[in-house]
Amino acid sequence: MTDATDAIDLDDLQSLVVFRRPAPYWGSFVLARFDDEAQGRAALRGLLPHVVSAAEWGAGRRNLSVALGLTYEGLAALGVPSESLAGLPAQLRDGMAARASHLGDVGDSAPDNWQSPFGTGRVHALVSITAGNEALWRETLTAAGSAIDKAGVEIVGRQHVAALAGARTTFGYRDGISFPNIVGLPESPFTAPERPVATGEFLLGHPCESGAVLPMPQPDVLGRNGIFVGVRKIHTRVAAFRRFLKANSKDADGEELLAAKMVGRWRSGAPLSLAPTADDLSLMTDFDQLNNFTYADDPQGLKCPHGAHIRRMNPRDTSLATLSDPRIHRIIRQGAVYGPALPDGVLDDDGAERGLFFTFMSARADALEFLKREWIDDGNTFNLGSERDPIAGNNDDGEATFTIPARPVRRRLRGLERFTVTRGGEYAFVPSLTALRWLADLET
Amino acid sequence: MSTESSITSKLEEIKREMDQTLPHASEEARATLLAGIEEQLRSGKVEPGTTSAGRVGSRAGKVSELTVIAPLKSGGADRLRGLFKLTNGYFGAADRVGTVHDMRFVFLPGDEQMLFATTFDGDWDSYIDDFATQIPVEMDLLFSEVEGWPGIHDPSVKDFIVKYQHTAAGWYVASPDLTVADTRRAQKKAELVDEFLDNAGSL
Repeated sequence: MTDATDAIDLDDLQSLVVFRRPAPYWGSFVLARFDDEAQGRAALRGLLPHVVSAAEWGAGRRNLSVALGLTYEGLAALGVPSESLAGLPAQLRDGMAARASHLGDVGDSAPDNWQSPFGTGRVHALVSITAGNEALWRETLTAAGSAIDKAGVEIVGRQHVAALAGARTTFGYRDGISFPNIVGLPESPFTAPERPVATGEFLLGHPCESGAVLPMPQPDVLGRNGIFVGVRKIHTRVAAFRRFLKANSKDADGEELLAAKMVGRWRSGAPLSLAPTADDLSLMTDFDQLNNFTYADDPQGLKCPHGAHIRRMNPRDTSLATLSDPRIHRIIRQGAVYGPALPDGVLDDDGAERGLFFTFMSARADALEFLKREWIDDGNTFNLGSERDPIAGNNDDGEATFTIPARPVRRRLRGLERFTVTRGGEYAFVPSLTALRWLADLET
Repeated sequence: MSTESSITSKLEEIKREMDQTLPHASEEARATLLAGIEEQLRSGKVEPGTTSAGRVGSRAGKVSELTVIAPLKSGGADRLRGLFKLTNGYFGAADRVGTVHDMRFVFLPGDEQMLFATTFDGDWDSYIDDFATQIPVEMDLLFSEVEGWPGIHDPSVKDFIVKYQHTAAGWYVASPDLTVADTRRAQKKAELVDEFLDNAGSL
C-alpha cells in the first residue's frame, strides 16, 4: 500500500537520495571527528550552506552532490539527547565493525584488518562530495574542507574516488543503472517495469510497503525525511577475477559471456534478459531499455542465472523458494571507484588497492545486513542451496560453486575465490536539511 | 579431525562432568551415554551442538528452533481450537513461507497460555518484515488471540515475540544441513531420476 498523496518536500531532502552519478565523476568522502558539542555544531553550521538538497539537484545542479551523514558517535558528540540515542537501531548503536558477523565481514574482511579510521569510533561525520567535473570537485572539496577547518574539527580520513575510463567498475562493468523508483521522488532516468516502491522504504516518516511507518530516530524533527546509510570500502581482486574467467572459458568471447552470467549484465551494462547470447552495444545509450525487463520469460534462469549478482540483489518477479518481498529489500546504491584500473590483460595482482566506495541507503537500518546475509552469502531463497553470490560472496572456503542453467545440462563452476574484500565501513544517518539545522542549533 | 589423544582427554573431561551433574545415574546409564558421545566424537562428522539463532533460540546447521509461551485472551484457546478444526491442518501460508519445517500449537493446562513451537531455516527475524507485507492476515489470524499481540505491522512485533521466547534446553535435528527448499528440491530430483531410470529400464 502506498500513499501517492503524501507530498515529499524536496527542499528538505539531501540530494544523495535522488542523485544520479554523472559520468565521468570525481569525488571525495571526508571523515571528521568532533571534539565537543560546540565544535560539532559549528562544523554543521559551516557545512550546511554546501549541502545540496534534492530540490537544488533537480533544479539544475545535477553535476554535484554534497551530503552529510552522522554516525552514532557523531550524533552523541553533537549532544543528541540520550533517549534519542538509545532509540537508534542496533546497526548505528553498535557500529559496522561490531556488526561484522551480520555482514560476513570475517577472514580478510574482518574489522581487525580494516583501514583506519573505519571501525575505530573516531568517525563522527561523513561528508560525501561527487562532481561531474574535476574543477567543481576541487572547488567544492576546498570549500567544505575550509568549513570543517574553520570549526576546528579534525579530519580523520579522506577517500578520493574518480571514474575509470568509460565509467566502469574495477572489474570492468558499467554500473549505476538500476535505481528503485520511489513514490514522490524523481523517476530513475532508466525506465524500469516496476511499480514505484513506497516512499517509507527509503525516507523515514512515510508509509512503507506494508502501510506502516518504520521506526525512526526521535524526536520527529530529527528522523523525518532522513535515511539510514551504510558506507563500505570494498577492495576488488581484479587479477584473481580475470584468472577465474580465463580458467573457465575457451576463448575471449567465452570470458565475456561468463562475466555476464556472473553479474546478469554484459560489461557494457546490457542485461542478459534482453541480450542473452551476445552483447548488444545499442542498449548502452537506450535508457528506455537498459533496465526495462522482468524475469517472467526466464523462470529457469537460462538467460540470466538465478545466482547472478543483479538477479540476487533485485529478483524482480522471480518466483522465489521462500516467501520474500523483493520490494522491501530494495536499496539505493551509489558506488564510486577508487584506485587505478588494472591494465587490460594483466592476470597477476600488482598489489594496488582498487575497488568501490559504496553508499547503500534504506529506511530499514538492517537492509544491507539482510542482503549480504540472506541473498549474497546464501542461496536458499533462490533454490540454490548454500551457493553464494559469485562476485560479492564470501567464496573463500574452496567449496564455492556457481551454477549456470543451460540445456541439455547446467554448468557448475568451482574454484571461485573471494573477489571482494571489505576494507572498512560505517553506519550513519543522513538527516533531512531541517534535522541538520535542528542539530546545528541544538541546546541541551 | 580429532586425534586419539584429544578424544581420550575429551572423554575423560566429559566423564568428570558427568560425575558432577548426574551423580544419581546408574553405571549402566553412564556407560551408555559415554559410549554414544565417544561414537559421535570418533565419527568425525559435523561438529555436534547448536549455536544462537539470533537474539533468542538455537540453531543447528541451517535450521533454527523457536519456542514461545504466550498468554492468551480469555476464550482465545477455544476460538483457536475452532480455527484449527476448521482448517483441519491446512496452513497454506506456511507452505508459501517455504522456510518452516513444522509448527505446533499447544494449549497449556487451564487454557491461559499457548505454547507455539516451530523449526525453520535461517535466522528467526530475517523475514518477519516480508511476512508483514505478504501474509499479514494469516499472521494476525493465528496470533491475535495472544494477549497484547501488537499486530504484524507493528514495529515492536519482534520485541514482543522475544519477550515470550524460550531457548530450548535440548533439541535434536535429523538433517541440520537441509532447508525446506533443499528438501523439496531433493524430492523433486529423486522423482525425476526415478522417472528417467524407469523409462530407461523399459526400453
